[in-house]
Amino acid sequence: MSSSLALDQADIEKLNDKDKAELRQFFANEEQKSKIQSQSHALTSLCWKKCMASSSTFKSGALDGTEKACLANCVERFMDVNMATVRQLAGMGGRH
Amino acid sequence: MDSEGVKKAIVQATLQETNTANARALIEGITGSCFEKCVPKPGTSLSSSEKTCMSYCVEKYIASWNEVNGTYIRRLRQGAEGNH
Repeated sequence: MSSSLALDQADIEKLNDKDKAELRQFFANEEQKSKIQSQSHALTSLCWKKCMASSSTFKSGALDGTEKACLANCVERFMDVNMATVRQLAGMGGRH
Repeated sequence: MDSEGVKKAIVQATLQETNTANARALIEGITGSCFEKCVPKPGTSLSSSEKTCMSYCVEKYIASWNEVNGTYIRRLRQGAEGNH
């Protein structure tokens, strides 16, 4: 991808400590945001398959109540399964 | 360019990259899911009913992403509170 950023080492060295600290915080936030967005993409694709299976063709672009509830349950139960798996594997740790 | 200018340029470029990556992932999800849903048997061209289905599907997929993202963030917050 073409980046619009045209900075060299000399520009980077102009950053004062306050701006460096702000940038570090900004990057930490952006990284967290990216991780959440990327997980949301994976979850949407997964839950879409489970929640949109029944209707043959779409009659509207809006989500109905059933679909909305299904998507929310799908995310919640995925997280339950995720945590339960981590807990189970952690419990196995000593026995291997 | 002073320190402030360099910082702003870096922030700007970073936001542009992450927004593009997010849009790309969304398009990938939409294309995959809606093609599967709306074009079960591809013909020699897209029919008008396939086009209508695609247009609803795009709206629905974006609404679904928002619903999923909102639920996910709410759940992450709950988890974070539980750990403290």
